[in-house]
Amino acid sequence: MFPNKHLTLLLGAWLVLVLSGSVQAGKTPLLERPFEEIEKQAEGTEVRWYMYGGWAHVNAWVDTYVARELKERYNIRLIRVPMDAGVFVNKLLNEKAAGKRNGTIDLLWINGENFKNAKEAGLLFGPFASGLPNVRQLVDPDSMAYDFGYPVEGYEAPFGKAQFVFEYDAAAIDAPPRTVAALKAWIRAHPGRFTYPQPPDFTGSAFIRQIFYAVTGGHEQYLDGYDPDLFARQSPKLWAWLNEIEPGLWQEGQTYPKDSATLDTLFARGEVAFGMSYHPPHAQNKILEGTYPDTVRTFVLEDGSIYNIHYTTIPFNAPNKAGAMVLSNFLLSVDAQLSKYRPTAWGDFPALDPRRLSPRDRKRFQAVDLGPATLRPAELVPVAVPEIPSRYLEALEQGWEEHVLR
Amino acid sequence: MNGTKTLLKLCPLLVPYAALFCGGVFLTVGQSFGWMTPVPYDGGRFEAYAGLLSSPSFYASFLFSLQVGAVSAFFAVTVGTLLAYGVWKLPVRLQTTALVYKIPLILPHIAVAFVVMLLWSRSGILASLAHSVGWIDTLREFPNVLYSGWGLGMILAYALKGTPFVMLLVMALLVHFDPRQIQTARMLGASKARVFFRIVLPRVAPAMHTAFIILFLYSFGAFDIPFVLGESRPGMLSLHVYNLYFKRDLARRPEAMAILVIMFCFAAFFIMAYSGIVRRLESSERKV
Repeated sequence: MFPNKHLTLLLGAWLVLVLSGSVQAGKTPLLERPFEEIEKQAEGTEVRWYMYGGWAHVNAWVDTYVARELKERYNIRLIRVPMDAGVFVNKLLNEKAAGKRNGTIDLLWINGENFKNAKEAGLLFGPFASGLPNVRQLVDPDSMAYDFGYPVEGYEAPFGKAQFVFEYDAAAIDAPPRTVAALKAWIRAHPGRFTYPQPPDFTGSAFIRQIFYAVTGGHEQYLDGYDPDLFARQSPKLWAWLNEIEPGLWQEGQTYPKDSATLDTLFARGEVAFGMSYHPPHAQNKILEGTYPDTVRTFVLEDGSIYNIHYTTIPFNAPNKAGAMVLSNFLLSVDAQLSKYRPTAWGDFPALDPRRLSPRDRKRFQAVDLGPATLRPAELVPVAVPEIPSRYLEALEQGWEEHVLR
Repeated sequence: MNGTKTLLKLCPLLVPYAALFCGGVFLTVGQSFGWMTPVPYDGGRFEAYAGLLSSPSFYASFLFSLQVGAVSAFFAVTVGTLLAYGVWKLPVRLQTTALVYKIPLILPHIAVAFVVMLLWSRSGILASLAHSVGWIDTLREFPNVLYSGWGLGMILAYALKGTPFVMLLVMALLVHFDPRQIQTARMLGASKARVFFRIVLPRVAPAMHTAFIILFLYSFGAFDIPFVLGESRPGMLSLHVYNLYFKRDLARRPEAMAILVIMFCFAAFFIMAYSGIVRRLESSERKV
């Protein structure tokens, strides 16, 4: 602990210097000011939004719709910077360690483990979410209380909603399996035609969590926080299930696709019969893009399908926090959520509470044509189960390496 | 006096080196012991190391990375040296056309990895060719090169990238080599093989040793080619570190750093051991 103490002292001394400087500037802290003032302050500025850049259609939506609206409504210039969440968290960690108070990132697209990592390491500004008018008016506070079981406490604002779905080609398979047990039977009957991305890939990790719920009797038991005894008792059932299907997997389970993009390619080429995605409109996007055949459809397992909320958040050293708050608030507006919901743009499900919408706005959401491959909320909501607390997630990924990969 | 001057002159180079490289190593070693970690670390000083050294999967990954590095470097040095010798013996006019060997040198590693994947995967170019020529009836009959469990895809990519590098180093030595030495030996009745092993090889051996060390250690620790061509089991160490660093809980940071420290120590130890052995071999040869 000795060197740590020294470092903290140094940092502390430096912080006092810096803070006394900013106090002299004599302004009310950003978080206490009315939003109109924040909007005024953000006018004519530039916002740098760091976000996962692996989806061309999402990038296009941000570069066209969001950038245009932000310019027109608030006179803010949007710069999208593609970067994986794990990478920007590490970038911020390094900046914090180096004492860099003026960073380069204004807004982040984040959730789950990365949010937990960032918040635990003190990398986030806030709590700012309750200061955003659209959060106060349109979002159900319960839906944004926890992110993967980790308390949000206003350090991130909701952006969209995702749920796990499987994809199959209706031209090749008449009736896909509807339960976890039927899926196992199908894999055994069709060796080499199924696989899942290797955890800790986001999608592969979600797949094993979903199976974990299904083979251990449901999700309720895990939501009260991490219980090592419970995990030790229940997890062997998951390892057994995964090891039993392994000989029937693609490449006999000798190797797993490195990430979900690799699985998408295998599915598109017909090497495997099922794709999977944490994003219900993923298949429809791929059809529109021309990568998947028109006959691809999605389905969920009756045993439950995990959903989560994804968020935007502001780093501790964001140079333009006011602009970031304006963007975060705009992304939650009815217009932006509606535009995002259209499959031609992205198809991402809204993070808003339908009960808080005006009847007219509700109708506008209902009128959106999701396309034939995307399931309707009426099919998704009944099977939706919440995400597991992060500690379980970490334990499952670690356990997968020890019990399934070995 | 002279030494200080040289040091001063080297300052523009040495200072960034010391600050960046040594700083990086210092931070890595520190974090591997749980100091200066991004989130407070509650494990013991050597917990990360103890955990690694008692984990069979770590040894499996370590050995596999060694194997991929050694096989690809050995292959590249052997083929590269033979090809360099072959090109050197060509008439001057042809030597300029032989410059095509430099193409893989300018390709980035990741591009070479994709070339190997496009060529060798079961739905790749070679499989399609073999199918259209009629050697195989279905694409599934094509040998499963990329997912053999032996890292063949990575070895191919590293060898493809390494061979021209070896050629470049070996040719640099051959340029100053007097061909009359070979002609004399041939006149005195030495066979072609004998000429190669007794006259050419000792001459280019220093380049081969250097090339082997560089290629072996590079492919032992590099990330880009395994990222494209790696398999799940056994996994390469570099991918393991990447996952720990970017995708897992921050509390696992000491473990990621401990792997890097072990890899660094191994590399340093290997260079010392290898050059020691080479020196001993050379001195004993001279005695003979």
